[in-house]
Amino acid sequence: MVDVPQWLIIILALVYAPIIGLFLMGIERKLSARFQGRIGPPLFQPYYDLMKLFSKEALVLNRVQILYAYLHLAFMMVTVVLLVLGQDLLLVLFAHAFSTICLILGGMCVRSPYSRIGSHRKIMQMVAYEPIMILMVIGIYINQGSFMGRDVFLLGKPMLLTLPLIFVAFVVAGMIKLDKSPFDVATSHHAHQELVKGITIEYSGPFLGIIELTFAYEVFVIFGVMACFWTTNLWAGLGLALAGYGTMILVDNLTARLTTNWMVRYMWSIPLVLALSNLIWIYK
Amino acid sequence: MNKAIIVTALVAGPVLWGVVAGLSKPAKMRNAFVILGSFFTIIAGLLALKGGRFTFSPGPWEAGLSFALELATILAILGVAIRIRSRPILYLAALQLAVALAGHIIGTGTGGVLEPVFILDALSMVLVLVISLVGPVIVLFAIGYMEQHAHHAPPTAAGERRFFFIMLAFLGAMNGLVLANSLQWLASFWEITTLCSFFLIGYDGTDESRANAQRALLINTFGGLALTVGSFWCITHGTDTLTGLKAAQLVIPMAFLCLAALTKSAQVPFQSWLLGAMVAPTPVSALLHSATMVKAGSYLVLRLAPAFRGTDLMVVLALTGAFTFAAASFLAIVQSNAKKVLAYSTISNLGLIVACAGIDSPLAYAAAVMILIYHAVSKGLLFLCVGTIEQSIGSRDIEDMGGIMYKMPFTTVVALLGMVSMLLPPFGMLLSKWMAIEASINMPVVMFLIVVGSAFSVLFWAKWLGRIQTVSFHPRYTLEPLSPFMRASLFILAVGVLVLGFGSIILYRDILRPMVTGIFQRIPVGVSEWSIFRADSEFAFWPFIVIPGVFLILAIISSLRIRREQVRLPYLAGENVDMKDWSVDGDVLSYSFRTFRDRFEPAWSSSQYMRSSVNEAKIVPWLNMVAFLLILAMFGKIHLL
Amino acid sequence: MKALARSPWICHYNCNSCNGCDIELLACLTPLYDVERFGVINVGNPKHADILVVTGSVNHRNARVLKNIYDQVPKPNVVVALGVCTSSGGIFAGCYNILGGIDKVIPVDVFVVGCPPKPEAMIDGFAKAIGLLDAKAKGLSTPLAEKPRICMVPTVRPEAEAPVSSEKA
Repeated sequence: MVDVPQWLIIILALVYAPIIGLFLMGIERKLSARFQGRIGPPLFQPYYDLMKLFSKEALVLNRVQILYAYLHLAFMMVTVVLLVLGQDLLLVLFAHAFSTICLILGGMCVRSPYSRIGSHRKIMQMVAYEPIMILMVIGIYINQGSFMGRDVFLLGKPMLLTLPLIFVAFVVAGMIKLDKSPFDVATSHHAHQELVKGITIEYSGPFLGIIELTFAYEVFVIFGVMACFWTTNLWAGLGLALAGYGTMILVDNLTARLTTNWMVRYMWSIPLVLALSNLIWIYK
Repeated sequence: MNKAIIVTALVAGPVLWGVVAGLSKPAKMRNAFVILGSFFTIIAGLLALKGGRFTFSPGPWEAGLSFALELATILAILGVAIRIRSRPILYLAALQLAVALAGHIIGTGTGGVLEPVFILDALSMVLVLVISLVGPVIVLFAIGYMEQHAHHAPPTAAGERRFFFIMLAFLGAMNGLVLANSLQWLASFWEITTLCSFFLIGYDGTDESRANAQRALLINTFGGLALTVGSFWCITHGTDTLTGLKAAQLVIPMAFLCLAALTKSAQVPFQSWLLGAMVAPTPVSALLHSATMVKAGSYLVLRLAPAFRGTDLMVVLALTGAFTFAAASFLAIVQSNAKKVLAYSTISNLGLIVACAGIDSPLAYAAAVMILIYHAVSKGLLFLCVGTIEQSIGSRDIEDMGGIMYKMPFTTVVALLGMVSMLLPPFGMLLSKWMAIEASINMPVVMFLIVVGSAFSVLFWAKWLGRIQTVSFHPRYTLEPLSPFMRASLFILAVGVLVLGFGSIILYRDILRPMVTGIFQRIPVGVSEWSIFRADSEFAFWPFIVIPGVFLILAIISSLRIRREQVRLPYLAGENVDMKDWSVDGDVLSYSFRTFRDRFEPAWSSSQYMRSSVNEAKIVPWLNMVAFLLILAMFGKIHLL
Repeated sequence: MKALARSPWICHYNCNSCNGCDIELLACLTPLYDVERFGVINVGNPKHADILVVTGSVNHRNARVLKNIYDQVPKPNVVVALGVCTSSGGIFAGCYNILGGIDKVIPVDVFVVGCPPKPEAMIDGFAKAIGLLDAKAKGLSTPLAEKPRICMVPTVRPEAEAPVSSEKA
C-alpha cells in the first residue's frame, strides 16, 4: 500500500467530493425523470446548474447572509475532511450539524417570512434526524470499541451484519438530510412552489451556488457513509450505497410531502425505535 | 508568598473594600472604591495563581471563629425570617441552628488527625480564578448599569451603597467557600452566599422581587440545612473536613452534601429560585449565574465526586444531573424571555456538570471543569449583553431583538460571540459536551439524556441567534453610545471568550488533563478511559480553525464587495412596498407589503416556541416529580430510607 | 454554449391571465413535452430564475407587482411573454383598467403568440430565449422583441356602451 501524504488526501477529497456528489445528483434527476415517464435533463445537468449560478448576478438582502452561506460550505468541508481522515465520528457529526445550523441562521437573518419559516422547519428536521445519527455513532462505538472513523476499516467484517436496523434508520434520516419527499418541508429540489423554496429563497446567483455546492458535498457524505456499512469489498459497499440512494429516490417519487409535525412524530417513533432496538441487540 | 496573606486577600479583601465602598456616600468616591476593590480582587486572584498550591491552617483559634461565624449567619437568617414573617424559613433556620449546636456539643473530635483548614489545590484554583477574574468584571459593569438603573428603578429599591457592598462581599464569601476545607468554614461561607443572594434578588423591593428573594432564601436554607446535617454526621464520625470525609468514604454525609449542592446549583426540582432571581438588576443575575452562587454547588460535587467513584450514589447523581440537563434545555425552547432562556441554559449546564461529576470517569471530570470555566465566562458575558440590550430597547423579549444589529452593533456582536461560544467550535463548550458524551458511553441512559439535551440546546440557541442578527442592509454602522464601564467589561469578557475559545484544546491538554490526573491519582485509572477521547494526540483540530477561517475571510471580502444596487427586498410575491420608502425608515416600511385597500402590513414571522404543544406550567410539576424521585432514590441507594 | 444557456430556470408570473396560458405552460413540463430536457426548471422564486415568463395583460394594480418581480430576477435574464394578452392586452384590451401589453412595464425579449399558445410554440419561445441568454452571457447586446403583428384587439362598439335603461324605456 502506497503511503499517501495526508494533505494530498484532503485536497483530493475536497476536489472530488462535489464532483461525485453532482454526478449522483445528475443520476438522481435522470432516474426521477424516468420514473415519471420523462426523458429528463442531461446527466451533467447539475454541473451546468452550478456553473450557471456562479456566473449570475448576486442579489442579497444583507451582508450577514453571505457569511452564513460561506460558513455552511466551510463546515461541510470540515465534515468531509474529518471523514476521509477517519477522525472521531462524533466530531464529524458535530461539524455536519454546524453546517446545517449555519444554513438555518442564514435563512433566519433576513426579514423574509418564507425564509424564516423554512429555517424553523429545518430546525425541526434536525430535531427529527439528529438522534438517529447519534445513535448510529453509538452503535458503531459498541461495534468496534472506539469512536474513530478509521477503525471501521480495521473491523474485518462489514458493519451491515451487526447494524442492519441502524442502516435502515440512517437511510430514512438521509432522506431528510437530502430533502426528499415526504420530508422535504424546509426546501425541496423539485416542485419548487412549496414555500417558494423555503430556506434558500433569499439567496441568488453565486451564493445559491455555494449552497448547491454544499449540497453536492452532502450527497457525497451520505453516500460515503452508506458505503462504509460494507467495508470489506469496495463493490459491495458501492452497491449498498447505490441501493440506499436508489431507495431514497424511489420513495421520493412515490410519496407526497407531509407536515413537519408528522415528520418529527414519525422519526421519533419508527426509525428511532429501529435504531434503539439494534443497539439493545448488540449491547454487551 | 505568605499563605495567610493570600487567603486574607482573597476572602477578606473584597469584603473590606465592599465595606469601604458601602460607607462612602458620594457616588464618585464609591465608584472609585468599587473599582479599586475589583482590581484588588483580580490581583489577589493572580497572586493566588502565582503562589501555587498550598494548605493553610491559621491556628487553634480558627475553630472558634468559624463556629461563631456559622452561628452568626444562621442567626442572621433567623432574623431575616422573622422580619419577612416567613414561617418555613424560620423553622428551617431554627432546625439548622439546633443541628449546628448539637454537632458542636456532641462532636467526637477528629481523633488527633489534623487536616488543613484551607486548601488551595488545582480545583480551588480554577474556581478562585473564575470568581476573582470574572466577578470583578461584572462588578465593574454594574457601576455603569446601576447609574442607568437608578433612573427607572422603583422607589422601594435599596440604595446602591448596600448593593455594591453585597456584590463585593459575595466575591469574598465565594473565595472563602472554595478555599475552605473545614466543614464549619464551608457552612459559614455557604450561608453568607445565601444571604447575599437574598439581599441582591430583593434589591428592587417590589412585591415580585421580595417574593422571589424569599423563595431563594427558603430553598437555599433547605440546602443549608442539608449541609449542616451532613457536617453533623461527619463530626459525629470523627472528621470535620472535606479531606477527612473523602478519606473516610462516608457515603451518608456525602449524600446530604450533594443535596445541598443540588439546591445551590438550582437543579430540578430546586430550579425555581434561580428563575425567580432574574427580577434582580442584570449584574446580579450575571454574578449569580456565572461566577458565584450556582458554581458553589457544582464545586462541592466536583470536590467530593472522585472519592466516591463506583458507588451507586454517583450513578444516581449522574442521572439527576443528566435529567436536569435535558429537562432545562427542553424548557428553554418554549421561552421567549431572554433572561429566562439564559436561566434555563444555566440550569442545564450545571446539570451537565453534575452529570459529568457523577459519570465515573476522569474524562467526564475534565469535561465538567471545562464546562464550569467556559460557562462562567460566556454566561456572564451574555447576561451583561442582555442587560445592555434591555436598557436600550426596553424589552427582554427575544422577538423584540430583531434589528438591534444596526441599533447597537457593538453589544450585538459581543452577544453573538457569547452565544456562538456556547454552541460552535472551536469554543470549549462544544469540546466539553463532546467529552461528556464520549465519557458517558458506559451509561446509556445518561448518554441518551445528554444527547437529547444537546439537541434541544442547539435549538434554542439557534432561534435566538437567528433573531438577534436579523438586519436590513446598511452601508455603514456606527457604534452605539455606552457607559465606559459597560463597554470595557463587555470588551474584557469578549476577549476572554475568544482567548479561551481558541485555547480550548491547549487548556484541555496542558492544564485540565494533568490536573484531573492529579485528582484521580490515588484511584486506579484505566488507560482506556483517556484514550476514548483522542483530542489531545490524534485530533485533527486544525480543519476546524483553517477551513472556516479561510471562508470567513472570503465571506468578509465578498460581503464588502456588495454594492447598493445588488440589494433587494425580500420576496413577498411582488407586493413589496416600494424600494424608495426604505431609506426613510430602514426597518419597518421596507419589509411591509400591501394588503387590500393598499394598507401596509409588516411581513413578520415569529420564531417557533411550540407553545401549542408544550405547556410549561403543566410540564414542570411532572419534571419536578421525576427529579424528586431521583433524589429519593439517591437516599434510598445509601440505605437511609 | 455558456452554462447559463444550458440551465435556464423559469419563474412564471400570472399578471391577469385567464389561466389558459398557465395551463399550457404547465403542460410543457409533462412527459409529453418535458422541457426539463433543456435543463428548464420551473422555480417559484424570481431570485433563482433566469427566464421570467409572464402571462396575461397588465392592469394598474399588477403593474407594480410585475415591476417588483422583474427587479428581483438577477441579471443576465430574459423575459418571455406568453400569449396575446401580454402583447396588447388581448381579449381584455380596452377594459377600463387595462394598461395593455407587459412591454409597457418591463422590457420583453420574446413574445410567444397564441391564445393560448401551443406548448410547441412555447418551447420554440424558450429556445429563442435560451439563444438570447447565451448571447447575454457572452456580453452581447440583444435587441428587444418586436411586438407581434397578430393582435386581438376587440373593437369597442359605441352601441354596447349605450345605457341599458333607455332600451327598456
